[in-house]
Order: sequence, then structure tokens, then C-alpha cells
Amino acid sequence: MIPASDSAGASAGDEDASFSKRVADRYLKREVLGEGTYGVVFKAIDTKTGQTVAIKKIRLGKYKEGVNFTALREIKLLKEIKDPNIIELIDAFPHKGNLHLVFEFMESDLEAVIRDRNIVLSPADIKSYLQMTLKGLACCHKKWVVHRDMKPNNLLIAADGQLKLADFGLARTFGSPDRKLTHQVFARWYRAPELLYGAKQYGAGVDIWAAGCIFAELLLRRPFMQGTSDIDQLGKIFAAFGTPKPSQWPDMVYLPDYVEYQYVPAPQLRTLFPMASDDTLDLLSKMFTYDPKARITAQQALEHRYFSSVPAPTKPSLLPRPPPKGESQNNKPPDLNSQDGPVVFSPQRKMRRITIPHDGLEAIQIDKADEQTKEVKHSEGAASHSGGMPMSIDLAVVFGTKPPPRPTLNSADRSHLKRKLDLDPDFDFLQRE
Amino acid sequence: MVDFQSSTHRSRWIFSPDELMEKREIANQRATKLLEQFGVTRLDVNVDGSVSYPEPIFDQKDNAERPLPKPLNCEEEQHMRIFYEQKIQEVCQAFKFPHKIQATAIIYFKRFYLQWSVMEHHPKHIMLTCIYASCKVEENHVSAEELGKGIQQDHQIILNNEMVVYQSLGFDLIVYAPYHSIEGFLEDMQEHFHARDEEQEKFKVLLQIAYSEVDKIMLTDAPLLFPPGQLALAALRRSNELHGVLDFEGYLNIILSQQRSVHSASELFEFLNSIYSLVHKLKIPTAKDMRHIDRKLKSCWDPSPDENKKREKRSKHKSKRTASEMQGPHA
Repeated sequence: MIPASDSAGASAGDEDASFSKRVADRYLKREVLGEGTYGVVFKAIDTKTGQTVAIKKIRLGKYKEGVNFTALREIKLLKEIKDPNIIELIDAFPHKGNLHLVFEFMESDLEAVIRDRNIVLSPADIKSYLQMTLKGLACCHKKWVVHRDMKPNNLLIAADGQLKLADFGLARTFGSPDRKLTHQVFARWYRAPELLYGAKQYGAGVDIWAAGCIFAELLLRRPFMQGTSDIDQLGKIFAAFGTPKPSQWPDMVYLPDYVEYQYVPAPQLRTLFPMASDDTLDLLSKMFTYDPKARITAQQALEHRYFSSVPAPTKPSLLPRPPPKGESQNNKPPDLNSQDGPVVFSPQRKMRRITIPHDGLEAIQIDKADEQTKEVKHSEGAASHSGGMPMSIDLAVVFGTKPPPRPTLNSADRSHLKRKLDLDPDFDFLQRE
Repeated sequence: MVDFQSSTHRSRWIFSPDELMEKREIANQRATKLLEQFGVTRLDVNVDGSVSYPEPIFDQKDNAERPLPKPLNCEEEQHMRIFYEQKIQEVCQAFKFPHKIQATAIIYFKRFYLQWSVMEHHPKHIMLTCIYASCKVEENHVSAEELGKGIQQDHQIILNNEMVVYQSLGFDLIVYAPYHSIEGFLEDMQEHFHARDEEQEKFKVLLQIAYSEVDKIMLTDAPLLFPPGQLALAALRRSNELHGVLDFEGYLNIILSQQRSVHSASELFEFLNSIYSLVHKLKIPTAKDMRHIDRKLKSCWDPSPDENKKREKRSKHKSKRTASEMQGPHA
């Protein structure tokens, strides 16, 4: 018996009376942490080790296609991958009509860090977070696994400060020359250009692009390229890095959804990230290389000078992080809207960015152009007061205008993906929540 | 997944011949005991992987009149398994699934029956479920309904058994098949021997024969005893013996020296020989063998139709235990 059983029992009881306080005689159930992509997640104590764990509970026997696909992917891959920067799957077992996946408990995630206005991220802190992200990715890619859903809230942070890749529900192996993969992966803002152009065969580069977006997000403290549609996303990418020329990316014109965009030259990267060091910009540009074949790999990125030059990456245990999830569930980090006094910014946060005029977008040679442009204008208006002004401060960041909602694969994309690829019967159920 | 070195396949699913024998004996004896105790060996499986034990069927007066059905012995169980492993190959060919699916399904099937006796879980059901699971895991999804329809079987059987299969596999779902390794070695050989264009045809034949040799190897215990790379080399060596395309031993010596392998050449040749002796010893059961074993299995599984009905009536208060309580490779 574990001494904590009293309190654990109490919190377990009110959540789900039909569920035993002990799951499979080993785990003491505690509070619900939230709804995962495919089921309820709750906190528990592993009585065998005393360790706090998170258990994902997935209903069985309800569906036409048996055991949930997403869960199966996660199990099969995480069983094979053990790495300090990848979430550990401790156990998997069916119990009372549910499949239970037991993970190590994680306190927070990178999105919470980026969003928390009370946190100041130094260049060394950013370096540390990026390094851990890339280490996790390097391990996946070494085993020929692409994650395909890299975004800050899938990068979880452990009590000891280690960042770990989680949510392998979209991950799969790559490298079989003839296998077609779906391009409907990643939340849009993190989607690589080859995916936006409909590539069906791709590799680890898609994760690197997303990691680049996360790197930029750590520097800017807001999502870097917030496209409102796939077309708009490409527009945002081209506005930041220039329209790719076939010489830069020879395979581009053969991609299924390739459309020609009007040429926009690349602004100096420094203008987008004025406070960043040369090494930072160099690594960023290599992660944002258009041609996936020429894009830097996770291993190469880890060997980049950025990581060996000063400042050294902060030790994980010393990294700033938001209060643990369980404790802060109902008191969200203060929004800038509700701040009384002036906000003190770290140099990173004072970051200026250019808002590129969207002329390029209006010239898109497809019939949806009008609609797209409207969408863009609308969203830009909401996100920033600085519409087409070049070299303007992003007022949204300074004044904390409510950021546009983060698109995730739970929206229309996910439904499309599920139907197409997963036949995931959970989907309807989740959408109705 | 290409990293066999750190895989669960390597760390948990490669055994010694003695270990295999021991596991199978344990399962056989458990089923035999079930038969003595309950007069029937069939276990009912629930969707969540839990298993229901039979109620004794001979607390009736006819107990003495009816002789107890005879259990299958280990050899008969083996025949049964080989028969259904062959069926897996047939079904997968009929569906034109890639080799990988077939190999994964067979390995699942083999691993499953290290934990269970064929008397407890009917191999026909497990065969179908393993094929379904293999398609799912290898991202080559076929719906249970489609699969069931294709071979005129009730697809509900598949869905009912899916969890008990995963659980019996310890959720280690990524397995390594020799087919991929064959392709890799062949490419390497072509490079090594500077294959000219006019020789391509020869290599193609070598590949085809090697594939069919692997099909045979898959029916033996070799996949539970040796890593897939060695299975592939054994098949390629055999194929080359039949075809005489190249100096195979020379090639092996060279790759061994390049790889700084932990094994010496003589060790490797010994492994390849033992893989092949397993193939030579492989006895494909005849139809007559199968009729006999199948009758025995039927009587263990379902002693008689009317007894069966009685049993079903009482099934509501059957004792339940989860599969993990009584088995699991690593318990």
C-alpha cells in the first residue's frame, strides 16, 4: 500500500465512480488532466515505482475498426524508441473496456512557456530548448520515424526541465521508396512547403521545417507564420523567405499541388529577427531551406556552430518554466490585455518584425485568390494594427491583442486526414465533445 | 524502423531452442489441465483482451459415460501451427499484400502461440486476427469486414481477438522481416561484383528464389531463433547454390571484414547452416495428418453440440481473468 492512497482515492472517486481507484492493481488514479487527441488523460501514481504518471484512456470495442489507430501508432513506435528527449511509454494494457497507455508525467509544455508573459527567455534558454527538440528529432530520424505533428504543445517539459517529444499519433516510418504518405499532417503553421504543395513522398525534412518554426517562435514569442489557409500559409512563407526559384528547389514544379506564385524577393532574415545572433540566423536559414533534400538534418543542426558558440545552452533544470500544469489549470498566465502597468520585455520579446504587404498573394494564379486575400486581410486586421506597414512593430505582440486561434489537426484538417488515412472511428466522438 | 540493434524484436523475441520448447510445453500442459478440469479447452475472449474460462461441463451424470477428449500433444500443435502459417501466406497472396505484411502476420502468429496452446485459442481465429493486425501496423489498412468477406469468415472474430493478440505480443508490434534485408544484400552484391547490365536478369532470378526460400524459412522456428539479416543471408545462399550466380562465401567474408562484425565467418556459416537444417527438417503436415489433428482439436474445443448449448447458457456467470494474469512473455 502506498501512503498517498487516501488523497488519491478521494480525487479519483468524484471523477468517475465506475472506475476503480486502482487501475489494474498498479496505478492509483488521480485528477483528470484533460482530453487528449483520442481520450481522457488522467494523472496517477505508479505504486510499483512511486512515480507520477499520466494515463491515456481509450475506449475499446465501440468501433468498427477495432483498436484505435492513433493509439496503436503511438504504442508501436514508442515501444521501440527510448531517449531522454522522447516521452517514455511506461506501460500499455487493456482494462475494463479501455486501453490504457501509461506515460511519464510531464509538468508543462513549450507552448505554455512561450505564452507565459512572466517568463523571460534568454538566448541560452532558447538554445537549450531547441537543442533538446533537435536531439529528440535526431533520435526519431535515426530510426526512420517522422513525427509529423511537431508544434510547441507537443513538446512536453518534465519536472527536471527536460523537453520531450510527445504525441506520436501521426508519426510513421519513412524511407520506403514507393510508399505514398499523406501531406495532411502538422498543424498548418508548422507545415513545410513541400507538404503545402501536396508532396506524397517526403522525409525527415518536414520535421526540421516545423522545428525551424518552433525556433522562430521561441525568438519571437508568437507563432512565426500564422497562415489562415494552406494558400495563405505558402504566401506567408514566401513573404518571409522569398518565392523559391526552381534553381533553389528543382523538384518543386513537379509537386502535385504546385502553383506559381508571383515572385517576391526574400527580405534580409535579420530584419525579421533583429536581435538574433549571426549563428542563430544561419541555423534558422538552414532549417528553412526550401529544397527538403538540401535542408539541414537534425544531426547536422546539432553540430551547427550555434550550439558550440557562446552562450552555452542553459542546463535543463535551470530553465524558466511556467507553474506545473496540475496546479495552474484554472489560473492561466496573465494575458497582456489585463496587465496594469507597462510590460517589461526581455530583449527577445522586443523583437520587431516586418509585416510584408500581401501584394504577392493577390497575384496567386488560382481561382480562389479573391477569397484567400479577403481571409488574409481579415486575419491580419485582427492580429495586428499594422496591416501593410513595413518595418512596423508587431503591435499584437506588444499590446497582447488576442492571438488568432491556433489551428490544430483537430479542426477540418484532422477530419480530412482521419477519413483519408486513419478511418479513425474516434473522430466523431471527439468532435462532439 | 531500421534500427534492429535497439529493437524489441532483438531484445525480447529471439530465443534459444530450449526456451521455445519450454514455452510450448507450458502452454500445452496448461491446456491439458484445462481439459482435465473442465472437459473443454476453449477460452472465450472479450474485446478488451480478457479471457473467460470455461465452466466444468461434466458435473452432469453423463460424466462417466463420456470419455474425456484427448489433448493435442506438442507435435500435433506444431503441425497445426505450420498449417495455419501456410494459410497466412495463402491469404496474403490472395489479397496481393506485400511480403512484409505476410511476414509480420506470421511472426505475430508465432509469438502468440509461445504464450498459448492452439487448444485455448483457435488458430483459424488467431490467423485472421494476425493478418488484420499486421495490415494495421504496417499502415496498409484493410477493414476487418473486407478481410472477413474476402475469405468468408465472420469479421467479428477478428475484432474480438485483436486485443488479446496485441496483449500476448506484449504490444511489441514492430517486427523485422527478412524480405527487406534480401533486397539490401542483393543491391550490395550487385555493387560488389560490379554487375553488368546483361547480368541483371541473373540477379533478378536470385532474388525471386531467395524470396521463395524465405517463405519456407518463415514456416520454421528460425524467425524466433535468428535475426532477420541472417535469415536473409541463409535464403540468398540457398538461392545462389541453386543458381550459382556468384562467389557467396567470398562475399560474406568481405562484408564481415567491412562491418567488423562480432561474429567470425565460421560462426556465421554455422548459423546459416542451422537455419537451413531447420528448413530441411520442416514437415508440412499432410491432409491426412490435418484431418486427424483437426478432429482432436474440435473435440477439445467443443466436446459436443448439446454440451455446448448448456455451457453457453451458463456463460453469464463465468469467471473472468485478464489474459495478462496468466500469461505474457515477460511475466
